[in-house]
Amino acid sequence: MKEFRFTLIIILAAIGLSLYLLYPTYKTYQNDKKINQEIDTRKTEIMQASPDISKEDLDKKLRYVEDSLKAADPTYTSTKQKSLKLGLDLQGGMRVVLEVNTGKLLEKLAKSPDDVFKQAIAQAEKEGATTDESVVDIFARILQQKGIRLSRYFGSIRDDDSKIISDLKTDADDAVSRAMEIIRNRVDQYGVSEPSIQRQGGRRVIVELPGVAREEEAKQLLQGTALLEFKLVKDRDLTISIMQKIDNVLAGKGPSGDTTSTSSTADTNKSADTTLASNDTTEKQLSKEEFAKQHPFFSIAMIDPNSKLADAYVNQDEKDKLKLMLARPDVQAVIPDNVEFDFGAKPVGYQNGKGIYKLYCVNKEPELTGGVITDAQANIDPNTSSAVVNMQMNSEGATEWARITGANIGHRIAIILDGAVYSAPNVINKIPGGNSQITGMANLEEAKLLEIVLKAGALPAPVKIIEERTVGPSLGQDSIYAGFKSTLIGYFLIAIFMILYYRRAGSIAAVSLIFTILFILGVLAGFNATLTLPGIAGIILTIGMAVDANVLIYERIREELATGKTIKASVDSGFAKANSAIVDSNITTFLTGIILYQFGSGPVQGFALTLMIGIGASLFSALVIAKVVFNIMVTKGMKISLG
Amino acid sequence: MQLFENIHIDWLKRRKIFYAVSTALFLIGVFNVAFRGFQFGIDFKGGSEIVLQFDKAVDISKVRNYVENIGLGNIEIKTFGGETGAMVRTELQEIPANIYPRVVSNIDSTIHSFYPGLPLNKVDSTSNSITYEFSNPDTTTALATKLFTAGYQAGKVSEEPDNRRMIVNVGIADWVKENLKQRMPDNPFKVIKEDHVGPKVGKELKQDAVVAVIFSLLAILIYLAFRFKFIFALGAVLALFHDVLITLGLYAALYGVIPGLNLEIDLTVVAAFLTLVGYSVNDTVIVFDRVRENLKIHKTMPLMELINASVNRTMSRTILTGGTTLIATLVLLIFGGEVLRAFAFTLFFGIIIGTYSSIFVASALVLEYANRSKKKVQF
Repeated sequence: MKEFRFTLIIILAAIGLSLYLLYPTYKTYQNDKKINQEIDTRKTEIMQASPDISKEDLDKKLRYVEDSLKAADPTYTSTKQKSLKLGLDLQGGMRVVLEVNTGKLLEKLAKSPDDVFKQAIAQAEKEGATTDESVVDIFARILQQKGIRLSRYFGSIRDDDSKIISDLKTDADDAVSRAMEIIRNRVDQYGVSEPSIQRQGGRRVIVELPGVAREEEAKQLLQGTALLEFKLVKDRDLTISIMQKIDNVLAGKGPSGDTTSTSSTADTNKSADTTLASNDTTEKQLSKEEFAKQHPFFSIAMIDPNSKLADAYVNQDEKDKLKLMLARPDVQAVIPDNVEFDFGAKPVGYQNGKGIYKLYCVNKEPELTGGVITDAQANIDPNTSSAVVNMQMNSEGATEWARITGANIGHRIAIILDGAVYSAPNVINKIPGGNSQITGMANLEEAKLLEIVLKAGALPAPVKIIEERTVGPSLGQDSIYAGFKSTLIGYFLIAIFMILYYRRAGSIAAVSLIFTILFILGVLAGFNATLTLPGIAGIILTIGMAVDANVLIYERIREELATGKTIKASVDSGFAKANSAIVDSNITTFLTGIILYQFGSGPVQGFALTLMIGIGASLFSALVIAKVVFNIMVTKGMKISLG
Repeated sequence: MQLFENIHIDWLKRRKIFYAVSTALFLIGVFNVAFRGFQFGIDFKGGSEIVLQFDKAVDISKVRNYVENIGLGNIEIKTFGGETGAMVRTELQEIPANIYPRVVSNIDSTIHSFYPGLPLNKVDSTSNSITYEFSNPDTTTALATKLFTAGYQAGKVSEEPDNRRMIVNVGIADWVKENLKQRMPDNPFKVIKEDHVGPKVGKELKQDAVVAVIFSLLAILIYLAFRFKFIFALGAVLALFHDVLITLGLYAALYGVIPGLNLEIDLTVVAAFLTLVGYSVNDTVIVFDRVRENLKIHKTMPLMELINASVNRTMSRTILTGGTTLIATLVLLIFGGEVLRAFAFTLFFGIIIGTYSSIFVASALVLEYANRSKKKVQF
C-alpha cells in the first residue's frame, strides 16, 4: 500500500476539495427551499385573510417577505455567492446588448442641425447598421461628398475635418462609459444580485441580469435616459431628529419615544456616540444585542458623533435591510413629506472587505435638474495639485444656480443620478456665471467619475438594444429538471453497459465516472464559472465520452492478457500503451473546446467550459483513480475480471 | 463479454464501396443544401422570437389566425414544448411603417381609456418609440405607471426637467403580445422566452461561426501534423470535412420532415458541429495511433495490411466508445427538452457518420496518398 499512499492522498484531496466547493451550493439549495416554503405559507395566510387581494398587491407583499427573509440571514448572500452559478438560461433572467446610438448623439452634439444634417445622419445610420465602419466616419464621408465641412455643425470654424472627427469619436467613446456608469448605477439601485456589465468593442455594453423576473421593468431601467438632480442636503439637527423618530418607531416606542428616552438632541447624540464608540466605558454599557434592540435604526445606520455632518454610515450587507425599514408605512409616516433618504452610489470605505455606504437625508424636490449642464471636465488644479471637476451651465441654469448657491452658502448640495448620491459638495460662495468648481475628490479617478455623472445629465447617452435574450424562470426550471433527469438516465445506462461488458473492471469505470461528474461540478463552483443548459449537455456528453479512456485501457489490457502476460504485466503495459492514444485524442477535443469558448457567447461558452473541464476530470479519473484501484487490486492478488 | 474479438476483415480492399457510400451521402447532402437550403434561427437571421406559455391548452391555428392579420407579414408560429406553449417569430426588426399608425392609435385609445379626452401632443416619433407631452407632470407620472401596468413599455423622459414627457417603446414583440392579450382574454399567457437579435449581430455571429469551424479544423491539422506525419493530419481533416458536410446535408434534407424536431441552425447547433469535429477526430486519432505504433513494430508489413490490422484491432474500442456516446446523446435527444433537441440530433447523427469515417475514410485516404506518391510512410 505504501507506494500508493501519495496518489491516494491526492485523490482524497481532490474529492474532499470538490465536496467542499460544492457545499455552499447544497446549502443555498436548502436555504431557497426554506424561503420558498415560508413564502408559500405566508401566501396562503394572506389569501385567507383577504381573499380578493389583487395579484399585484399579493406579489408586492410576497416580494417584501422574500426580501426581508433574505436580508434577515446575512450568511444567505455570502453562501449564495460561493455556490455554483446557474446561467441565465437555467435560472431565468435577461441578457441585453446595448449599443450607443451614435446618430442620436451626433444630433445632440450638433450646433444647428438642419434638414441636410438630419438626412445625412439618417443615411449614415442606415449604412452603419450593416457595416463595421463607425457612424462618425460614414457621416463625415457623406458630408464630404456633399461638399460640406464638418465645422458647419461641430467645433469652431477653424477646426479641420480630421480634428472634428477625432473629437466626435472621443465623444462617442465617452458616451459608452457614461452609458455603462448609468446602467451600473441603476442596476445597483435595482438590487439585482450578481449583475454583469461589460464593455464589448467600441460602443457596445453587455448587461446580464440573472433572475430578473420583471423583465419589462428591467428593460425600462436600461433604456430610459438618466435623471441627474441637485438636491439640498438637510442639516444635522433636522436629520438627526428624523432619524431619532424612525429609530423610536422601529423600536416600538412610538414616534416621540417614551418618557425615559426623550427625543432631545442631546440624547440623540449620546445614542449616536454609543453607536460608534461601543467600547467606550461611559454611562450604561449596552451589549451589542441590547443596543440593536433598543435602537434598531442607529445600530445599522451609524453616525459619527464627532462630525458636524449627520451622514449615516451603512454596511453594504445591511443596505437592503435599511431600505426595507425605510419603506415601512409606519416609518414613512414619521418622515416629513418633503424629505427623503438616498444612499451614496459608491462605498466610502471598506470594513472587513464589506463596503460602507453613506446615507444622506435630502430635500425631495430637486433644486435643479441636470438638463442645464452644458459640460463638465475633470482636472488637476495646478495650484493645489488636487483633483477638481469644472462644471458649466447654460444661461437659464446659471441664473437659477446663482440664486440657489447664494441662498445656501455653507450648506451642501447633493449630486444625485437616478437616486444615488455621487457627491455632496459644500457651497462656499455664490456662483454667478454658471461656472462651478467642485473640489475634495481624493484622486483624478474619482473626479472622472463625477465628470461622467455630470455629463450624463447634460448629454444623455442614447442607447438602443441590439440583442436581447430573456428566459423566464419557469422555462429555466424546466430546463434544470430536464438536464438533471438526462444526466441521471445517461449515467445509469452507461454504467450498466460498462458493468455488463467489463464486469468488475466496468464497475471501477462506473464508480470513477461519479468522481468525474463530481470534479466537473467542483471545478465549476471553485472557478466561479457558470453552469448553463448546454453546459449540462456537455456533462452528459462527457459521461458518454469519459468511458473512452477506460475502454481504451481495458481493450489494451485484454490484448496484453491474450499474449499470455501476467495480470500485473498486462495492467502495467495496458495503461502505458493506451497513454499516447488517450492524450492525443483528448488534446484535439480540448483544442476545439478552446475555440468554442473563444467563439461562443453565454450558453455556448458554458458548454465549451464543461467539455474542457470534463476532459481534464475524466483523464484524472481514468489515468489516476482507475489505475491506482487496479494496482491495489493486483498487489493484493485480487481477481481482475474484464468480462 | 467481448465483441469484435480477433476480427480479420480486409476493409481497405473494399474501400471503393465506402467511397461510393460517402459520395452518395455527400451528393444527397449537396443536392438538399442546393435545393432546400438551410433554415437559420434568429441568431443568424436577426429578428424577434417570443415563446408564450398559456394557462390552458392552446390551439396553434387560432393563435396563427390572430397574429397573421396584425400586419407583420410573414410570421411564423409553432408549438413549443407541450400544448400550452407557442412560439412566435418574425424576421422583422421593427414595426413596418404601414401599420405603425395602428400601433399608435392603439396606444392613444389606451391612454384615453384612462383619461378620456386628454389632449395627445406627440413631440417625437421614431420607428420604435413615441414621445408624448402632457401639460401636467402629475398626469405624465400617473399615466406612465398605468400604461406600464397595462403591459406597455412606458416611462418618463427624464432628461427634460419638467417631467412632462412620456416615452412609449414599441417593438415587434410588444405589438404581438398586445394583440394576443386583446384577442384571447380568456386564456392569459406568460412570456417565458424572448429573443431579439439585430441584423448586424446576426451577420457577425454567422461570420464568427464560420471562422470558428475553420479555425478548429486548422488547429487540428496543425496539432496532428506535429504529432503524426502531415499526410495523417490531412487524412483526418478531410474525414472531418466529410462528416460536417454530410451532417449539414442531412440537416437540409430533414428540415421540417420530422414533426417535433426543429432543425434550425442556431448557436447551439454550431456548438454541436464543433463538438462533432472534436469527437470525430478523436476516433481517427485512435486508429492512427495504432498505425503509428504498428509501423514501428512491423517495419516490413505492407501499409494496406498494416492499416487493416490497426483498424481491426481498434474496432472494438471504436464501436464501444461510439456506443456509449450515442447512448448519452440519445438520452439528451429524448429527455433533454426542446431547447437542446437540435443540438442532440446533430451529435447523434454526426457521431454515427464520424465513427464510420474514422474507420473507413480517414485511413483509406492515407493509403490512397501513399500508393500514389510511392513513398514509404514512416515515423
